[in-house]
Amino acid sequence: MSKQPARAAAASKRLAEDGDICPVCKSSRYLNSTMQFKINPACYHRMCDTCVERIFKRGNSTCPIAGCAKTLSWAKFRRATFEDLKIEREVDIRKTVMDVMNKKEEDFETLRDYNDYLEQVEEIAWNLILNIDVEATTGKLERWKQHQKAELDAGPPLASGKGATQRKASQSSKKKDEAETGFTFHGLKKRVAPVKEAPYDPWGGWSIAPQYYVLQDNYDVDWYKRIKTDVHHVAGGHSLQDYCSQALRDAFGGLGVFIEDEILARDTPSMDADVGTEHAVAAAMSGKDANMNVNMDDVF
Amino acid sequence: MTSSATADGGQDLAEQMNDAVREKFVMGGFLGEGTYAMVHKAHYRHDPSQVFAVKKIKLNAEYHNGIAPDAIREMQFLSELTHPNILKLIDVFSSKDQNLSFVLELAPRGDLEKLWKNKDITYTAADIKAWTNMLCQGIWFCHENFVLHRDIKGSNALIAADGTIKLADFGLARRFADPGTRMTTQMITRMYRPLELLYGCSHYGGTADMWSIGVVMAELVKRDWYLGSETDIQQVSVICEKFGTPTEETWPGVSALPYYVAPEKQNNMVGTTANRIARPRSWWRQEFMLLGDDGAEFIKGLLTLDPQKRFNSRRALEDKYWTNMPRPTKKENLPKEGGGEKAVGDDLKRKGGETPTNGRADKVARKLDFGAM
Ligand SMILES: Nc1ncnc2c1ncn2[C@@H]1O[C@H](COP(=O)(O)OP(=O)(O)O)[C@@H](O)[C@H]1O
Ligand SMILES: [Zn+2]
Ligand SMILES: [Zn+2]
Repeated sequence: MSKQPARAAAASKRLAEDGDICPVCKSSRYLNSTMQFKINPACYHRMCDTCVERIFKRGNSTCPIAGCAKTLSWAKFRRATFEDLKIEREVDIRKTVMDVMNKKEEDFETLRDYNDYLEQVEEIAWNLILNIDVEATTGKLERWKQHQKAELDAGPPLASGKGATQRKASQSSKKKDEAETGFTFHGLKKRVAPVKEAPYDPWGGWSIAPQYYVLQDNYDVDWYKRIKTDVHHVAGGHSLQDYCSQALRDAFGGLGVFIEDEILARDTPSMDADVGTEHAVAAAMSGKDANMNVNMDDVF
Repeated sequence: MTSSATADGGQDLAEQMNDAVREKFVMGGFLGEGTYAMVHKAHYRHDPSQVFAVKKIKLNAEYHNGIAPDAIREMQFLSELTHPNILKLIDVFSSKDQNLSFVLELAPRGDLEKLWKNKDITYTAADIKAWTNMLCQGIWFCHENFVLHRDIKGSNALIAADGTIKLADFGLARRFADPGTRMTTQMITRMYRPLELLYGCSHYGGTADMWSIGVVMAELVKRDWYLGSETDIQQVSVICEKFGTPTEETWPGVSALPYYVAPEKQNNMVGTTANRIARPRSWWRQEFMLLGDDGAEFIKGLLTLDPQKRFNSRRALEDKYWTNMPRPTKKENLPKEGGGEKAVGDDLKRKGGETPTNGRADKVARKLDFGAM
């Protein structure tokens, strides 16, 4: 690797420039000669020992370097070496590149295509680490980011017949789009926005809506009024609503069984859900009305 | 030794059908023993990959026909209710010794009580949300079909192989009572029994089951029993100390219930005067911090003393808690019995991220390390 010496030189140059200021509290080693830099091998972000004590001594906390978000423990901090400082910078550059160049193997048609892609990503990262063509490379990266975003926003291709021809059209323009970013990746499949997960359905897809009747809030029947105000039923949580819908379901439950009737009912307005239910429920429950004063204590 | 029908003592049609059902299954290992049943594993003779649980009801001399009413109710309701969150009854047959056997869907991953007791399992608020939601869906389906379960508790919420919660044990279930019909209040395992039953009210409704679900959910949060006691009277005290003693203001009609004791008359009773007023919202949020504010509101809806104000199953499923963040964990990702070891392994894998510091800057090794950042 002929790049190796150049890389080391670039890193030491950068160290001389800003290696003496704590990126967290901004204090400088020129003003405080006892200051020591510490790093944590979870992310290699460098900060002064005062900052480490202040932020992490009382327990784990997130790294104060923006965009890092690693949880760091105090015990893992150690003195930063010259090598660490190089790694810190490299880690950050690679993270930036990886955020943009985030294709996975399954995005490519063949493993070979994927490997070629990785080579190019590596090239970008090294260019930035070694300060080669920085401006051009950063621009390229930015254009690729925009291109990827645009591709996602466009959404998945339409599945209709018309959509299919459109997809063909966009396939041919794809090469051109990609070329404008300064990249060409062989065998890269078109990116499709992931299907958005449907909102959680707490009912698990079930619903039971009555077909033949509508439950009313009140029924004008004597016993109904009596029960409705009976303190034991009220205080106990007995639900007349539940009872009435049960009676209605029992009364109407058989209707659905007769397919021919159902077909007829479809064109017969009198089967409309809100017709006559009040009388129907009264009738359905009339038999029970007579028994209502009999003590129906239930073994269960 | 199923003898084929002989000329004299021939089987009638029912017997032949019963034998045909029984012959479909091959009995396997022992799964567990309940109060009135022994449970074994079984599989189809023609397809051993299809496994079931066979629950053989113990013969009980106390009852007519030797069959406890529990068994009959279980058979009746389980066969009527078909829903993913209700344990399915596949078949019923009787064996040579006249014992009744139920062929049930197999639920091999234990139950919600075993789950919170197993300290090798760690779980989160999203997992609790998923389990409670499945429980609520199951009980909603029961209530929608006018069946009261009356024995909801962690150990009756079985866990299927795919992580689905299956409401089981319909031995105490019954149809919603007609108005005026009294129901016994000695139902629902004491720890899960709502105050209206403890006060001796025999006209309760679906909301009684919802209280039990609230207690199960609280146990999942606390990983401990939530409202335990030794006697019915103690149970009333425990509930009142926790949530406040109800009054005519907080629960209209409560003073008419047989065993209700007003706060001002409780002075001589140990431990029941501690807390007479309803708990403020802040208490609920503190008590169920893990669930978040919306989760605390939700469980408050289940553990409301007045059964008319308590969430019914429909209201429970309509709550915004389910669609709020965090999303309930997908079934396949729910922690499960025996998952302890695996979970630790995953944690170790996740740690990662440490970079080799030997300065060799090996390109490929680095790529692997940084790719995950
Ligand atoms: N469907 C099932 N699948 C797997 N195991 C089961 C099933 N049903 C019951 N068991 C096991 O058998 C034991 C006893 O069951 P059951 O009779 O329902 O209990 P109980 O009488 O205590 O309510 C349970 O604790 C459980 O371990
Ligand atoms: Zn500092
Ligand atoms: Zn960091």
